[in-house]
Amino acid sequence: MDIIIIGFGAIGKGVAKVLHEKREYLKKNYEEFKVVAITDSSGAAIDEDGLDLLKAIEVKEKTGKIKNYPEKGKEISSIDVIRNVKADVVVEVTPSNLETGEPAKTHILESFRSKKHVVTANKGPLALCYKELIEEAKRYNVIFRHEASVGGAMPIINLAKETLAGNEILSIRGILNGTTNYILTKMEKEGLDFETALKEAKELGIAETDPTQDIEGLDTAAKIVILANSIMGMNKTIKDVKVKGISRITPEALFLANKRGYTIKLIGQIKDKHLIVEPMLVPIDSPLNVKGTLNVAMFETDLAKEIVVVGRGAGPIETASAILSDLIHIYNSMKK
Amino acid sequence: MITIDIELKDKPGELLKILTPISRHGANVISIIHSREEKRGGKVPVRIVIDVDDKEKLKKILEDLEKEGAIIKKIDGKDKKVYLDVVVIGHVVDTDVRDTIDRINEIGLVEDLDLIMPHPDKESSAMMRIIVDEDKIEELFYLFEELEKEKGLLFIKSIF
Repeated sequence: MDIIIIGFGAIGKGVAKVLHEKREYLKKNYEEFKVVAITDSSGAAIDEDGLDLLKAIEVKEKTGKIKNYPEKGKEISSIDVIRNVKADVVVEVTPSNLETGEPAKTHILESFRSKKHVVTANKGPLALCYKELIEEAKRYNVIFRHEASVGGAMPIINLAKETLAGNEILSIRGILNGTTNYILTKMEKEGLDFETALKEAKELGIAETDPTQDIEGLDTAAKIVILANSIMGMNKTIKDVKVKGISRITPEALFLANKRGYTIKLIGQIKDKHLIVEPMLVPIDSPLNVKGTLNVAMFETDLAKEIVVVGRGAGPIETASAILSDLIHIYNSMKK
Repeated sequence: MITIDIELKDKPGELLKILTPISRHGANVISIIHSREEKRGGKVPVRIVIDVDDKEKLKKILEDLEKEGAIIKKIDGKDKKVYLDVVVIGHVVDTDVRDTIDRINEIGLVEDLDLIMPHPDKESSAMMRIIVDEDKIEELFYLFEELEKEKGLLFIKSIF
C-alpha cells in the first residue's frame, strides 16, 4: 500500500516512526506499507520506491524542512503532491485550524478527487464541515477515516461504530483533553492555582505555547462535534456547542469539591441533542475520574448500557497508533 | 395506597405536624415507619403509607407536607427530590449572596453553604447543596445561566 504523509510535524513524524518500526510486522501480516511522499510547508520528498523514513525524520529535525531530503527533496506544494503522486492513501496531519479548517480541508477534498483514501487526525475540517467531507468521500467512492481526531490512542469512533454496531448510542460524556486534565489534577493534588499549574504544564511540554484552545474548552468542543456527527448521526458544527473553560477554577473550589466527595473535570457531553463543554463536579469514585493527561469517554447505549474507555489522548506515537489502525482498515477493505 | 418517603427534622412535634394535613384532606394513614437509626444530616427518614382516592387530594397533601417543612423524597418509590451539589466561583458574597440564595430557593432549597474567601480581591469559591424537584432541574440550570451573566459567577454542576 502506497502512502502520502501531508504535514511533517510531531504527528507526521510519529506516523513515519511507527511505520518504520512496524515494517516487518506489516509486511508479514498485510503487505509493505510504503511512504512514497512526505510534505511540509517547505516542499516535499518524493520517491515512488519508498522513502527512507529515518532519514526523512533526521532531515526534518536537523534542517526543519523536508525539501532538504537528499536527491528526492524539492519545492512543491502539498496539493500538487496529492494530485500527481501515485498512492492509495493520504495521511493528513497538518496542524488543526478550528476557524477555517484549512489547509487540511483542501488537502482532504483534493485527495478524494484524485481517488485516494484519506486518514486524518485533523479536527478542524471535521468540526466545521463533516457532512460535506462524508458526502464527497462517498461521491468519489473512497474511504475516509479519522479515529485519531478524538482521544488520540483511545479507540472511540471505531469502537462505537464498529465494535458496538447495532447499539443506539444515547449519550456520550468524557474528558477529551489531556492538557486541562493534567492542570486540574495538578491543582487538586498540590493546591496550586491555575496560572502556576498551567506554567508547569507548559514547561513540561504538556501545554502548548498558546494553550487557549485547550483551556477555553474549544479543543474538547471540536471533538464532541466530531463524535456527535460521526457516531450519533447529527449535523453539528463547533458553533452549536456551549463552551466554558477551566481558567477560572480555583484551588479552593477543588478543595470544597473534594470535601464533598467530588473532583472537578472539564467534561464534554452530548445528551438529548445538546452539545456542552464545561467544568463539572465528578464523584471521586466515578470511572470518569481519570488523572493526569489521560482521556476517558463513557457511552450510554440501549443494549450494552454503559461502556467506558480510558487511554492516552495525545502524543505522536499514541496518535500514530490510531492512524495505523485506520490504515490497516483501509488495506483490509481494499483487499475485499 | 400510596407510599410517601419524606425527611423530617429530628425535633419533637414534627411528626404530628405532618399528620394533621393528611387527616384534614380526609386520607387514611395505613402505616408510618420512623427510621431514627438512619438519621443523616439532622434529618430522619419517615415512610408513610396512606389511602387516598384521588390525585388532586394527593397533590394538596404533598403541598401541605412541604409547607410543614417535610422534604418529600419519593412517591411510590419514584424520586421526587434530588440533591444537586454545585460549586460557585466568583465574587459570591459581593454580588449579594442573599439574593442568589433567595432566587435559588424559589425553585429548590439551598440546604448547605460552604464558602472560602482567599483574599478580598480574589474570587471566592462556595459549595452549595441544593434540594430540588427532579422536574425542576432544567429551570434551576436556566437560573444558573442567568446568575452567571448577571453576577459574573461560574456554576459547576455535579454530574448525575
